[in-house]
Amino acid sequence: MSSNQQELSEPPSDAISALKFAPDSSSRLLVSSWDRHVYLYDEHEGQPNQLVRKFEHRAPVLDVCFGKDDDEAFSVGLDWDVRRIDLTTGEQSILSTHEAGVKSVVYSSEHDLLISASWDKTLHIHFPSDMISHAPNTVPLPAKPFSLSRTPTKLVVAMANRLVHIYDLRTLALLCSQSSQPPPNTTELEPWQHRESSLKFMTRAVACMPNDAGYASSSIEGRVAVEWFDPSESSQARKYAFKCHRQASDNGVDIVYPVNALAFHPVLGTFATGGGDGVVALWDANAKRRIRQYQRYPASVAALAFSGDGKFLAVGVSPGFEDGEEVLGEGEVKVFIRELGENEAKGKGTK
Amino acid sequence: MGKKKRGHPDVEEVLARPWCYYCERDFDDLKILISHQKAKHFKCERCGRRLNTAGGLSVHMNQVHKENLTNVENALPNRAGLDIEIFGMEGIPEDVIQSHNQRVLQQYYEAEAERRAATGNPGPGGTAAAGGAKKPKFESPSDLKKRLAEHKAKKAAQEAAGGSSGDVTPLGAGHGAQSPAINHSPLGFAGPPGYMQQQPAFSGPQGTPPQSAYTQPYGQPPQYAQAPIQSPYQQHPPFSQPGFGGPPPFSPAGASPFSPPPGQQYPQPGVPSFPPQFPGGPPRPFGAGSPPFHQGPSQPPHNHNPSAGPIPSRQGSLPAAPGLPQRPSFGAPHVNAFQLQQMHQGHIPGATNPSQTGGFPPQQSHAPPNEVSEESTGGTREQDHSREGAPGSAQYDTPQPAPANATSVDELISSAAKDVDGSKPATTEAGPEKKAKKEKDKNTRQVYTDNDVSPEEKMAQLPRYAFVPDYREETVLGPAEAAVTGPALGEDDVIDRMD
Repeated sequence: MSSNQQELSEPPSDAISALKFAPDSSSRLLVSSWDRHVYLYDEHEGQPNQLVRKFEHRAPVLDVCFGKDDDEAFSVGLDWDVRRIDLTTGEQSILSTHEAGVKSVVYSSEHDLLISASWDKTLHIHFPSDMISHAPNTVPLPAKPFSLSRTPTKLVVAMANRLVHIYDLRTLALLCSQSSQPPPNTTELEPWQHRESSLKFMTRAVACMPNDAGYASSSIEGRVAVEWFDPSESSQARKYAFKCHRQASDNGVDIVYPVNALAFHPVLGTFATGGGDGVVALWDANAKRRIRQYQRYPASVAALAFSGDGKFLAVGVSPGFEDGEEVLGEGEVKVFIRELGENEAKGKGTK
Repeated sequence: MGKKKRGHPDVEEVLARPWCYYCERDFDDLKILISHQKAKHFKCERCGRRLNTAGGLSVHMNQVHKENLTNVENALPNRAGLDIEIFGMEGIPEDVIQSHNQRVLQQYYEAEAERRAATGNPGPGGTAAAGGAKKPKFESPSDLKKRLAEHKAKKAAQEAAGGSSGDVTPLGAGHGAQSPAINHSPLGFAGPPGYMQQQPAFSGPQGTPPQSAYTQPYGQPPQYAQAPIQSPYQQHPPFSQPGFGGPPPFSPAGASPFSPPPGQQYPQPGVPSFPPQFPGGPPRPFGAGSPPFHQGPSQPPHNHNPSAGPIPSRQGSLPAAPGLPQRPSFGAPHVNAFQLQQMHQGHIPGATNPSQTGGFPPQQSHAPPNEVSEESTGGTREQDHSREGAPGSAQYDTPQPAPANATSVDELISSAAKDVDGSKPATTEAGPEKKAKKEKDKNTRQVYTDNDVSPEEKMAQLPRYAFVPDYREETVLGPAEAAVTGPALGEDDVIDRMD
């Protein structure tokens, strides 16, 4: 199994915060790190997964995403800024600035919207193609956001106090485009749906199904919930949660790890979870079965990403993520690219 | 003899073999039986998960796959019901056990008779009778059939009279009333009637050999050993005097339950049935609020007299199947005894009743007074499961699905399973997990416990990640990449904010 897995030769020097594959190329990978850099890996001179470039930031980078094409990226981090990075020239520009660290950023190619979520309890809605005439909208949130995910039509914002807001992107785009004021351009927006997390503990990550039907969320308490957007009772009855990323210790105590990372396979609709125990597992959301679990990674799994064609799974591994303790030195931070077999991530079906 | 034994086992060995309620197959070992049940009868057809009980599977199907389980897989047609909680040998209704034992015995004696006829050897313990042993081969089938017919007629009569029959399927209408029979301690089982009943079935061609059989399967040592237990009761004047009219009845009954002719025993049959209950003090088997000791003697059911007509239903402790033999004890029972004590600790401080070892812990354990009324409805386990699982999806969605099986049965199961599996918790799937659910707080340790501040926020507080306003100067001086990042630093913006 290890033969189809490659470790990136020049990983970040500090904890990994996010991994993202380019929308059109499954060899192009962005990695954001607490070492204040965003790394771009790509095929280079026939060799896959080479470090092409790194982009320095003023503070640890907490999230990164690709923009409208493979050469545009957006990053956010502890310097409170939302930045646009031109991956070819390395030019960076600040799109907006929050009032606290910025945790997540997502780009919706369908609506050409860039959404950033900050611990200042706001979303910033940017129109990257029209930054001059339209100042970013500031959408207040009831609590600190912890994770963002989007489908072509929906935006899911997971927040503290187990709150979840689901926005309809079309409405969001429309309302924001009409509300153009000088900064901060605050726009009060009612989400399409208010939800409470199905999980009892703090939401760690949220990821939407590629078929736009629902989303999965994970908590710090070794659990994952899967639910559907459709508010009808029958759809809501389908939601479920399960335990994972737990480890029995010798004295009969189950050590419960946070589930740090969630990623849906873009084609098959199965999903991967990565936990503090260093385990990555693949699940079939519909059959409610685990497809497989990979051999334990040397440290906590911090981030996961599937490539656009679903052929690769990137696994970002960094130690000491949970405890908030001082992160260990180099060598402990690794990025693995796993090439998936044809049926490796395929659900087994409901039998 | 030794050689012979190897070829064909003793009757007690035959009777002691664990067997599966669902398919009547017997096994060498309780462990094997349990794994058989998990593999054949309690396996989820959707995901292949092996559960411990039918109820567990039902809940699993309900919660995980949102499907309803209607019957147990691979079961005999009349045993496929979900209303009886079976785990290994636990939970099998007395009447079914009885009929199974009868069948086993019958087969055993048939085989033995055949063998003897073929070999000309005398049966074990058959000395004088050995001479006539050769012929009965031809007599025996008809004789047997006749006796069997008699026996059946008798049973039919009992059934008509409201008693239960071993042939009744678990799904039978009368079942609900029968299953709680466990509440009768084995000592109180109507030994004599059953004894009589079974005689036809037992007695093979020879009159003699069966006698050895009687004492072995039914005459469990612990049972006899109960006689001494009487003394404690007599130390309680309130018990013995109003209830029983004095000690005398005890000694004959307790000392040799089998010796008096059946007819004689009926007049005082209640007596032997009490001792096991009295140590408990509290009226566990009697249902809520019933004055324990005065009720007892006045309760006809304790007679276990099949001919006594329809037995008045009594909360909690329903009439026993007539002629309950004590279940042969093997493997599991010692677990049960232990578990039972645990379960009943509240009710029976320090009561160690060996006769309970063969009881039905799942149901007994289930009989705190307030639930007693439910006991009589039959299929209690199923109800429990469905009740607890009823919230279904909603409940399951909550982060801590309420322990769906937080009854003592599960405790029993998990610990029994553990015991069976050599105290390796990991080997049973459901047991330890259920336990973990129950004792969640104790048994889990979260790596990250702060429910309000995310790990990233905490990391951001670390000095090494602190955002230093002057950092941009450093970046300018930075390594090769600085050239790339330099122009994008947006200096004006930064300066504004830092003010």
